[in-house]
Amino acid sequence: MRNLLNFLARFSNTIIFLFLEGVALYMLATGNHYHNARIGNTVRGITRGLEGRISNGRSYLNLREVNEKLLAENVALRNRLGRVIKPENSYFSSYTDTLFNQKYIFASAEVVNNSVNRQKNFFTLNRGARQGIKVDMAVTSENGVAGVIVGCSENYSIAMSLINVDFKLSARIRANGYFGSLNWDGHNYQYAVLNEIPQHVSVNVGDTIEATGYSAIFPEGTLIGTISEYEKVGGDFYKIKVLLVSDFKKLHFVEIIGDLKKTEKLDLEKLFQ
Amino acid sequence: MINRTIRLSLLFVLLILLQVLVFNNIQFSGFVNPYIYLLFILLLPFEIPGWLLLLLSFLTGLTVDLFSLSPGMHTFATVLAGFVRPNILRIISPRDGYESGSGPSMQAYGFRWFFIYTALIVLIHHTSLFYIEVFRFQDFFRTMFRVIMSSVFSLAFILLFEFSRKGK
Repeated sequence: MRNLLNFLARFSNTIIFLFLEGVALYMLATGNHYHNARIGNTVRGITRGLEGRISNGRSYLNLREVNEKLLAENVALRNRLGRVIKPENSYFSSYTDTLFNQKYIFASAEVVNNSVNRQKNFFTLNRGARQGIKVDMAVTSENGVAGVIVGCSENYSIAMSLINVDFKLSARIRANGYFGSLNWDGHNYQYAVLNEIPQHVSVNVGDTIEATGYSAIFPEGTLIGTISEYEKVGGDFYKIKVLLVSDFKKLHFVEIIGDLKKTEKLDLEKLFQ
Repeated sequence: MINRTIRLSLLFVLLILLQVLVFNNIQFSGFVNPYIYLLFILLLPFEIPGWLLLLLSFLTGLTVDLFSLSPGMHTFATVLAGFVRPNILRIISPRDGYESGSGPSMQAYGFRWFFIYTALIVLIHHTSLFYIEVFRFQDFFRTMFRVIMSSVFSLAFILLFEFSRKGK
């Protein structure tokens, strides 16, 4: 008790000083709109920062649910968009169809089984024939090529991964349009190889590689990856190493793309083969 | 003692009147505003107890605030000035100390001493006053410029006032 009194006596001036300054600040805050607003804003800023952090953490926990909702919404929007936007060259098409010239339909799916360490990699999706998935539909993740559906059960489907030595895809260099054949060499799951690009073409590291759409599986222009290095093999062609856009080791949410006019195209092509 | 209290009270009234009626209306080029009421805090006797000094500072600031419609600003700055005054007096004390029963004056301690004493307190007072007024650190150097300009003018007027007091 005596210590407390001693303390008070010793610092009485400081205490009075702090008290009077407190009163002055109180008057400052209540008497002036400007200062009131600034002090209020500061206090609110602090509490808002705290709340922001808390809700940040909370939203992280909800991320999965949000992702699913977004995917569903994306799919719905893309389906509507496909109905509204006609293909660029639709001027010359003479047919009419009941689908408003929609060329692609989209669906979302989740990868429920996956592998990257074999030579023939497949992954399993949680959508099947009941959800309208058919063999030969394209699978993309984050807008990059991921694989092709090769088999469907009622509620699941199997896709052949891009990193499967049997996978072949017609791909081209976006910058100059030269196309070649892309496949996986079985070494590293991050890289694929693009062949059949003639050596007179200028090739640069970092160029984008995209799908051509010739095979009627992937829409034209779907991303595949970027050139990471290239070398000349034999007399005529480059061997180009492509860094893939899709990370197959964390493949989770994917999109399935179906080409509605595929049969028509293939039937026509069959006539002349 | 009573005589001195009366004299200080008169000084208080005189300085406040001068401040609110004359100096608050001087605004050299829009931002230079001398504050001479601080002289009252400067001239209080040496042996005044700390609590009384703070209380008087508070009252002085409050009075100026009431007249210049700026609640809190002058109060804050003047209480701060009152708080640092004993420390500054200790730091700049002359070799043979202060004469008891007197107050700080130019007559007793010389121009140089009084100038340093006034300049330090005016600078502290004005710095806190102007930064409290803008209440943010944007335009930091602009505010500092205003602090320095106003301090120079306040200092000049306070010294002038002290000179005229000396003449009596």
